[in-house]
Amino acid sequence: MAHTNKTHFEERRAYWAMVMPSFALYLLVMAFPIILSVILSVSNYSGGKMFGGEPWGFVGFDAYVRVFTDPWFWNALKNNLYIVLVSVFGQLPLGFIFAYFIYAKIVKAPGFWQGVLYVPNIISVIVVGLLWQTIFSPHGPIGEIVNYFRVANFQAQLESIFNTAGGFSLSDEVLHNILNLAGPAGQSMFSDPVPELRDLLSSYQGQPMSDIYTALSNLFVQKWSPAFLTKPDVAMLPVLFVILWMYTGMYLILFLANMQKIDAQIVESARIDGANEGQVMRFIILPALSGTIVNSAILAISGSLSSFALIFAMTGGGPSRVTEILSIYMYNNAFLGRPNFPLANAISLIMVLISVTLIVLTKAVEKRYGGKEE
Amino acid sequence: MSETIHESRLKKMFSIIGRVAVYCVMGLFAFMTLYPIFWLIMNSFKTTREYQVSQLALPHSPTLRNYVEAWEMGEFGLLFPNSIIYTLGATVGIIFLSLMAGFAFAKLKSRATKPIYNSFIIGILLTTQTLMIPLFLEVNLLGIYNTRLAVLLVYIGAGLPIGIYLSTEYIKAIPNAVVESARIDGAGFFKIFLKIIIPMSVPVATTLAMLNITATWNEFALINILVSKTELKSLPLGIYKFSGSLSTDYGKQFAALTIGMVPMLVFYVIFRKQITKGVAAGAIKG
Repeated sequence: MAHTNKTHFEERRAYWAMVMPSFALYLLVMAFPIILSVILSVSNYSGGKMFGGEPWGFVGFDAYVRVFTDPWFWNALKNNLYIVLVSVFGQLPLGFIFAYFIYAKIVKAPGFWQGVLYVPNIISVIVVGLLWQTIFSPHGPIGEIVNYFRVANFQAQLESIFNTAGGFSLSDEVLHNILNLAGPAGQSMFSDPVPELRDLLSSYQGQPMSDIYTALSNLFVQKWSPAFLTKPDVAMLPVLFVILWMYTGMYLILFLANMQKIDAQIVESARIDGANEGQVMRFIILPALSGTIVNSAILAISGSLSSFALIFAMTGGGPSRVTEILSIYMYNNAFLGRPNFPLANAISLIMVLISVTLIVLTKAVEKRYGGKEE
Repeated sequence: MSETIHESRLKKMFSIIGRVAVYCVMGLFAFMTLYPIFWLIMNSFKTTREYQVSQLALPHSPTLRNYVEAWEMGEFGLLFPNSIIYTLGATVGIIFLSLMAGFAFAKLKSRATKPIYNSFIIGILLTTQTLMIPLFLEVNLLGIYNTRLAVLLVYIGAGLPIGIYLSTEYIKAIPNAVVESARIDGAGFFKIFLKIIIPMSVPVATTLAMLNITATWNEFALINILVSKTELKSLPLGIYKFSGSLSTDYGKQFAALTIGMVPMLVFYVIFRKQITKGVAAGAIKG
């Protein structure tokens, strides 16, 4: 009896010695900050020493009223929702389809596709954000590509004008066609278009046609400059594109790993019984993956709420705050200008609550409609 | 008869067209993944002026000057060792603490297991980034702002929930008899943990290592609020410096981004299989 008591004691001591370090850290990093944000969000704490500094105390729910009446909060929330939508209706289905293509051996080289499409996940989001910021900027390659095609298209049309005229010609018809091609902007370069263009072209007489094409396209083709990230009404689109670009590969990996867990014999025998691809998908693969799909949706939602660095690096929330998401809205309230810690903590708590609510909802949906795994 | 032959021929044709379409779509995605990376590396060897003239052409006379200058400006000589310390420290800490707590949860009897274990499970779904403002204030309150200790504590704390979940599930599958027979031989629980459980947990430890090495090396949001001294910063913070006034000095920016990207790419090329496995395992939540 004494012996068992001793072992009991030893077991309990060992248990707590093994669990406590982790649990203490967990409280430090998760639980305590939540408690702190509850307290500070209803206070008038304005920075500085928390104890022994400027006195602060309870002031009520002002910060929450301010958050909910701030249009920028709703703007940020809307952007978070866009990210959730792109995740759930973009990354997940694409990842699923790609995974299926690999699983069903519709494409060869499974390792290649998995390996390549996952690469964006491995790169620091700061690198990804700055890289795409440059790609979408006026100094990026998109403008060069678009302008290349514009020039090529213009020159092809010029060529067909001259070919119809049977070679180099300065007839009124040819000149008119060229001016039509140049459009109003091109025509406005001349005060009297037809004779002036004739003068200009006659100086090229006898030179290779390609020189004439180049000269005319330099003159007429408008250089297009991409400025996606500086136009407030479209700035969110490149951001969403990058988010789709970045995480589709992760869901591919996830779905493929779970598809490969499906007993191959079940699929095989269904095929032998005459089931087609659609039926295999509907009656075997989708039910088997319903749990994974719900889990992925949860992952996407909590991922969207925690996303910060990508947009922080890519747009910083700009131009004029239109690409702010909740975390950046919170960050700016705490660190930009005069810190407003009650407000920032209120936002933090609201984000925690949103994420808990969504997770509970998704779990409820899973219970109601999922659970076909068995 | 001829109709069915015709039909099957049609079917075959469609399946070929479908296959081509699938290759095109996936090929496009693969291209969109690989080309920007290639483009970035290629342009990091151009001077800013050459880049401005042509963004798509290969570098005329490749130069390493961008790298030399970016390395100095970003003070990467300081940040690289920091990134290594944070990544290794957090990863080893998370693995050790997770396995230890996982062993206790899985093999030692206690009524505390249920509430504590469940609170870790909830922690998987809460993301630390949403708590960065109160964390910042807490770290200040404790007087550990601008210390490596704060970074390591936060990183380990943030990584524990998923680590403990995976470790506990893994250790549960180890037969009880293994622990019991060692107990009969007179071994203490810590000895069992160190001598038996850790060696048997190498697969789950590998998964955790893959998850945490990539996550910690690339982490930005938390360390951004935990340190402001250059001597304590990690690589992503240094790279971010190239976004402000330096962002139009493209040559240097591209070199800095490449410096930030290549270590993880190399790591990925070496450990692709293990990383992929870790992602699939780590995403099983709740």
